[in-house]
Amino acid sequence: MTGLDPLPLSGRQPRAVRSALAVLEEVVAAGPGVTAKEISAALKLPQATTYRLLNLLVGEEYLVRLPDLRGFALGRRSARLAPHAAPAPPTAARAVVEHLRGLVRWGVHLASYATGQVTLVDRDPDHPPTEDALLARYPHASALGKVLLADQPDWRGVIRDLRRLTEQTVVDAAALDRQLATVTTTGLAQQFGELRPDRGCLAVPIRSPADDTLVAGLALAGPPNRIAEADGRVVELLREHAERLAPLLG
Amino acid sequence: MQNGVLAGLRRRSPVAGLDRRNLGPAEVLAQSVSSAAPAAGMATVPAFVAVTAGTATVWSFALATGLALLVAACIAQFTRRMAAAGSLYSLTAKGLGPGAAFASGAALLSGYAVLVMAALTGAAVYTDALLERLGWRAPPAVGAAAVVLLAAVAGALVLRGVRVSARTVLAVEAVSITLMVVIFVVLLGAPPAPAAPGGPPGDLAGIAAGVLPALGAFIGFEAATTLGVEARRPFVSVPRAVLATAVLVGLLSILAAYTQVVGFAGALGGQPEPVLTLAAVHGAPWLASLLDLGIATSFVACTLATTNALVRVLFSMGRDGIAPRALGATHRRYRTPHIAIAVALPVVAAVPAVLLAAGMTGPDALRLLLAVATAGYLVGYLLVCLAAPLFLRRIGELTPGPVVATVIAVPALALACGAFVVSALDAAAPVVLAALLVAAAAWYAWLRLRRPRELAGIGVYDETSALDVHGARPP
Repeated sequence: MTGLDPLPLSGRQPRAVRSALAVLEEVVAAGPGVTAKEISAALKLPQATTYRLLNLLVGEEYLVRLPDLRGFALGRRSARLAPHAAPAPPTAARAVVEHLRGLVRWGVHLASYATGQVTLVDRDPDHPPTEDALLARYPHASALGKVLLADQPDWRGVIRDLRRLTEQTVVDAAALDRQLATVTTTGLAQQFGELRPDRGCLAVPIRSPADDTLVAGLALAGPPNRIAEADGRVVELLREHAERLAPLLG
Repeated sequence: MQNGVLAGLRRRSPVAGLDRRNLGPAEVLAQSVSSAAPAAGMATVPAFVAVTAGTATVWSFALATGLALLVAACIAQFTRRMAAAGSLYSLTAKGLGPGAAFASGAALLSGYAVLVMAALTGAAVYTDALLERLGWRAPPAVGAAAVVLLAAVAGALVLRGVRVSARTVLAVEAVSITLMVVIFVVLLGAPPAPAAPGGPPGDLAGIAAGVLPALGAFIGFEAATTLGVEARRPFVSVPRAVLATAVLVGLLSILAAYTQVVGFAGALGGQPEPVLTLAAVHGAPWLASLLDLGIATSFVACTLATTNALVRVLFSMGRDGIAPRALGATHRRYRTPHIAIAVALPVVAAVPAVLLAAGMTGPDALRLLLAVATAGYLVGYLLVCLAAPLFLRRIGELTPGPVVATVIAVPALALACGAFVVSALDAAAPVVLAALLVAAAAWYAWLRLRRPRELAGIGVYDETSALDVHGARPP
């Protein structure tokens, strides 16, 4: 996405790179709210250099300035530097998911949103889901992704590229807006062949009982025409199990 | 995870509703370049500068470019650190406080609005000239109608989405600049004009006096600062766009000035249609049509770019609460400030349409409007340069460089403002400016009385929200 300079490192550049990484590390060490002056003093870097490096890192979105414009914190992009795995669900939660699998003929998958992305933490062994990378990268095309996007203050901050993956994929921002509004009001996301032409999906959010934040999503996957005809009873089962999972995951 | 500092983060940016982070660097650059409308400046400004600077006209442009670069450097101190939609007014608020920010806002609002009026008029004037060259003499009402039509098209594009309008601006401006470069290179390559009586010698005072009209060629180069919210990488592309526009306009102006000074062998000062005269002398009258086309397209791009800027200033004032809050609304689908567009466009279209329909000649109207707009911009530039080091001191990041930039730029701009007032005394512009000043003062008094809290909190920008910070949970 970002056009990187193809020139080889030369002269004092290696030092500048080291200093930039040191600044990044100092922001992590000192915690959010640390100011440019404090960073410069802690690293014994000249002030002008520190300010330039900070502006550079803010420009690249590894750092953000806090609303007072003095303090710094790690930006969203920094999350990519240290990907942490979503925690595995407890055995009790797996049992609830397994129970639902016994009641329906379709694939049942559990996803965690702890990393800010769709991460499958319990895949249905009999109905292999779409590969993880696709789910994480294109949340607009999956039901679990739509649950995540509907919970964001502005989904445009999470994805920029509404890529067309199949004929059915929603690629119009306004249409996605409408879909997500429906997800918010009904608490049910659906997609029919948007991610893969031969797969449709229903998903419901699982919210922490403590503070109502979105922690996970529970999905049913099957052939798109069959999923489209799913009756209210199936949706009810899905919601019921999501409710039972909430205290185990939240 | 959530500690004290992050707990204060908002869930949504205060400028939510705009099409956040969607414009590439070329589109951001085009906004600034088009708003400065280099083509029109290249054709007309050197003759004004040459009145005092004579054969040293090029040096006046070099000085003006230097001053524009200093202003750009001051603006960059803000735009590298914050992304705003309200142009210099939102930035000034972070350095000088509410009173000065309001002054900057009022000055820029009138500057942008009047520049749109001027650009509409300019587009009509040069389209009219082109039609006349092609053999159709249009009645004055056609000029007024053209203004209204262009305003409607601009309004539709600006409403339809920032991406659409930015790309249109980019395409139109590219055509315009290509035409102008072709014209001036052809003129430069032509045999020199027959010896003419020499102009006034370009002494130092003359060069300095020429800086003010030369600065007129740069007016509008800060317009990219209104796209801070919508630029994909605002902290990089906005400061770069403003600096690059100062350089580009400087180079184009110097090329134009050099060509004309050489062409007239020093007698450029006060020529009414210098480029046309040169084209005729060199036996290339077809250049005249090309020139009209180049300037007309430049004014069309300027109309669009400056309308984009104008409605975003209104939008920011609406969100700040110092103007009706409805102005801060955005269209759900197009993600543009649709109410601000609906309010602003009829006004900016009506004024030039009425002036032209009432029988004022196009060039006269253009001169008056440009003079009024220039005043607003100069005040805006002066205040933002003054604010830059204060802003840096406030956030604890002051270094000697920005102080030097301010120490040079502020007196120079203050002199330019003073010279402007003196030069504009004999025309209608002072009356208009005085009326605008009274209106702004009344508005300020009303705010002090009725909305003191909103006034104190002036300066909305795209501040970091919980979504942007790694590890912060939305409140």
